[in-house]
Amino acid sequence: MQIATRQAGESTIVDVVGDIDLYNSPEVRKVLLGLLKEKRVPRVVVNLKSVKYIDSSGVASLVEGLKVSRDLRSRFILFGLSPAAREVLELTRLIKVFEVYDNEEEALRGETPSP
Amino acid sequence: LSESKHEPGQPSHGCSAAGEFAVKLELASDPKLLGIARAAIEEMARCAGFSEDDSYAITLALCEALTNIIRHAYEGRTDQGIQLTFRCLGDRLEIILSDNGRGFDPEEVEIPPLGELRPGGWGRHIITQVMDEVQYERRQETNVLRMVKRLNRAERTGD
Repeated sequence: MQIATRQAGESTIVDVVGDIDLYNSPEVRKVLLGLLKEKRVPRVVVNLKSVKYIDSSGVASLVEGLKVSRDLRSRFILFGLSPAAREVLELTRLIKVFEVYDNEEEALRGETPSP
Repeated sequence: LSESKHEPGQPSHGCSAAGEFAVKLELASDPKLLGIARAAIEEMARCAGFSEDDSYAITLALCEALTNIIRHAYEGRTDQGIQLTFRCLGDRLEIILSDNGRGFDPEEVEIPPLGELRPGGWGRHIITQVMDEVQYERRQETNVLRMVKRLNRAERTGD
């Protein structure tokens, strides 16, 4: 798995490539929580387009990112769900809990959802 | 997960192990090996005749079970053994996972209310969603988890 961050305006985009499982989900968690808690970025946008496999360990990292972002009143957005990411988020019925966009352009444009 | 014109019950690619077969694997309880286990499981599911989508789902469910064994039965130890027996029985696939870790009944894991933000517990839910049968048994010092996935489930249920 590879994970990299880049900046687009006030959004910090996290590109994840490969498989997210018990072995590497701690790295995903570390990057997400580092951005939210330490760097205090206002908007984390996670690109899941190139995620070939993600299980509940990976989902737990995303859930933790979402929870922390809510506590800190920042935004936590997912986009480009690969079939693998969509499958696991649908199986856990968490897809409706996350703010999800089809692509990067929509994710960056995404307006603040009503409370 | 992907569209295909695959006929249920037929291997989804040129697999020489088509028909009934059995494979036994033993792996260490090391999360680093999950990627290798996934590759083997997905290939075996395809050879058993499952579609690409079902093969992925079976792989996901089995890796959730392996993850539970590593985390709960072996409590994170990476040098313990896990046995995986994979039997293709024509109309169904039977997978047996066994380990010698702490007694761990997956049914004891609380499934979080779906859609709620809990840090874990979805693995068991995924396993029961994907598999047609799931049975846990403690045999002396061994945890035995038996799972069955039937080949024609989609046709029977119109799913």
